[in-house]
Amino acid sequence: MDYSIIFKIAGIGILTAVVSQILKNIGKDEIATIATLVGVVVVLLLAMNMINELFETIKQLFLIY
Amino acid sequence: MEIFKIIGVGLLTCVLSIIIKQIKPEFNIIILLCGGIIILFMVLDQLKNVFDYFLTIFSKTNMDYSLFVSVLKVLGVGYLTEFANSICVDSGSASIGEKILIAGKIIIFCLALPIVTNLIDLIIEMLP
Repeated sequence: MDYSIIFKIAGIGILTAVVSQILKNIGKDEIATIATLVGVVVVLLLAMNMINELFETIKQLFLIY
Repeated sequence: MEIFKIIGVGLLTCVLSIIIKQIKPEFNIIILLCGGIIILFMVLDQLKNVFDYFLTIFSKTNMDYSLFVSVLKVLGVGYLTEFANSICVDSGSASIGEKILIAGKIIIFCLALPIVTNLIDLIIEMLP
């Protein structure tokens, strides 16, 4: 199992923080909130894939149908 | 040895979650979740060998296969509820974790009913 996904999530988190900060400084506050939302959604999708994979393996392993 | 990699990934996740807590607190719980899943995946395939070993032992006894399956189900449900509970406690909402624990106990109780009835039948057969 590759553990690069933790770095991906941390990177996206830092990126959204920086982007929203810059957008706030320019004065476009509403785009900043949208940017944060996009970052959160992307990270949630990544986490969703991980959880889905976990549930599939648990189903096969523990014979839960 | 596998344990060193697991400890490494665990510490890495803790450090990263502390860093991210300052910058973007929402992502902290997701990093903890993904770290837990990764550590779990590292040991899950060894669990497969353990279950196959138990299956060979179980097939020697003349009990039917559904008992073994329900034991495995109870294990799976128990582990998943504990996993979800620890994530909820980490994210600060312990009450949701408690609810998940209670629901898991009820599900395990329902799953374990056939085992108990089978045990009682065995005991009744042994009585004179």
